[in-house]
Amino acid sequence: MEQPAPTRVMVVDDHPMWRDAVERDLAAAGFDVVAVAANGSEALARFPAARPQVVVLDLQIPAPNGVEVTSAVVAQDPSARVLILSASGEQADVLEAVKAGATGYLVKSASREELLEAVRRVALGDTVFTPGLAGLVLGEYRRLLDAPAPSAGTPELTERETEVLRLVAKGLSYKQIAERLVVSHRTVQNHVQNTLRKLQMHNRVELTRYAIEQGLDEE
Amino acid sequence: MTRSRLTAPRAWREAGAEAVEDRLFRALAVLRVVVLANAVALNLYRRDNFDHPTAGVLVVLGMAAWTGIAIWAFSSSARRVPLLLVLDLVIALAALASSPLVKGAGFSASVSGFWVIGALFAWAIHWRWIGGLVAATLVSATDLLIRESVTQANYANVFLIMIGGPIVGYMCGSLQRMAAERDHAERAAATAAERARLARAVHDGVLQVLSLVQRRGAEIGGEAAELGRLAGEQERDLRSLIHQQDSLAAPSRDEATDLASALERTATRRPPQASMSGPGAPVLMPAAAVEELVAVVRACLDNVARHVGPTAPAWVLLEDLGAEVVVTVRDEGPGIPDGRLDAAVTEGRLGVSESICGRIADLGGSAALHTGPSGTEWEVRVPR
Repeated sequence: MEQPAPTRVMVVDDHPMWRDAVERDLAAAGFDVVAVAANGSEALARFPAARPQVVVLDLQIPAPNGVEVTSAVVAQDPSARVLILSASGEQADVLEAVKAGATGYLVKSASREELLEAVRRVALGDTVFTPGLAGLVLGEYRRLLDAPAPSAGTPELTERETEVLRLVAKGLSYKQIAERLVVSHRTVQNHVQNTLRKLQMHNRVELTRYAIEQGLDEE
Repeated sequence: MTRSRLTAPRAWREAGAEAVEDRLFRALAVLRVVVLANAVALNLYRRDNFDHPTAGVLVVLGMAAWTGIAIWAFSSSARRVPLLLVLDLVIALAALASSPLVKGAGFSASVSGFWVIGALFAWAIHWRWIGGLVAATLVSATDLLIRESVTQANYANVFLIMIGGPIVGYMCGSLQRMAAERDHAERAAATAAERARLARAVHDGVLQVLSLVQRRGAEIGGEAAELGRLAGEQERDLRSLIHQQDSLAAPSRDEATDLASALERTATRRPPQASMSGPGAPVLMPAAAVEELVAVVRACLDNVARHVGPTAPAWVLLEDLGAEVVVTVRDEGPGIPDGRLDAAVTEGRLGVSESICGRIADLGGSAALHTGPSGTEWEVRVPR
């Protein structure tokens, strides 16, 4: 049987030792590291030619920052996946990156196995959530709901999605959640993905609305 | 945090004070024109009172000319030298003192009238209340000395000037000090923001290294694994500290404190190393409620450490539902056997029941326990 082509990955990190370590780990695990970049502008310059399937992205990089790189990458190639690898933990910018289109998030203290597993899953189109990110996403939906004038398009979580997100935030694995709710692993995965997709869609709509209001679309 | 007194370096205390002084002198320029117009109008109205009309006209023209010169001269801080202020006051006093000469010894209204307050306020603005007092004294003394007799109206004017000069001077001083303090506060805020930005960059670098040591250490094993574990501890501590610092910057009102950062501190400081998830924004609650909830979470985590193990994983989830907050603490231990909590109570040990259920009941909330072979979960709901 023919071996499937290895997943093409790009690593963006301004710390050389981290970049090298991640690159080495990925290469050793059979991934094809097609490009590395030390800052946002390098990343965006190399992305079109390298065409990676997965971008492993540090959020705190010299401008343009991780959030901007995420939007640009996803806009150029909607099939590309962005996995955020952040040192500073679950902060507002992680949420911004997820809203901009990242589908995975990992803290840098995660083990090598966790990183490789995350890249594999993100490449397959899965979402990789930490409990911290699930808590942030829950909080974001509630903030949208509490906004002074929620518009018709404001995304809301279904009861099931809220339940699943809460379980992720409490540290349960997808497998444990599937067992507890008596559904398939795939169903859990879909629920989690939906919560992200709705936020990302809303984010795009908001950006477009903002652009129209500011008259940027006429340029 | 150390509190430093508002002692601005001299250079920018003067910058702030100078901006205020510029504004005050611009206002004084308007006042000078108004009092000049008033003096001209009054002198025209009472032109029959002059013994020497030509001299009177010259004095009024001189006042008008000096008003123009003074407005120009005082508009720049570089020109506001003592000589100018002295000259201003001397000319005002001279105009005042000319009254008996041009109007006759028995005059009632002076030629200069209220025009002299231009010089008086210039002193008050520049030399604060002392300047105001000195100028007011000189103007009053001159006014009294040139008169044959002092009427009730003369006394009232002198009294007003003696009061007004120092008061205006005092207010100007206060304004200048406030401007300097505001400058200092703005600068302190800017410095703090810049320090926070730098700290973030430094912390990020340190976190990167600690994460790497932790990760590589675990892979190499042996002594390196121990180093890695220590690095991991430091990394969690530092990250938690940064989160707390972020929420410190958020505004807080009514002595409300941030439950999110308080729980973060509790969750990451002691074994077991719990992972903390929150809404990513401060959750403000009365300090007393925050204290109780922190104590509850601590009791839950202590239980995990005692019954599951000091290195057992645990998770803390904080949700802000608007009307209430929900705090969940979960572990994956063997669970609490049926009846053990009740047994503890009957044995007279209050333990979990009192420290968790009692505290939550006091806050008007409810606590629910889900326990089984796959783990234990405390869910605590407290109204805002």
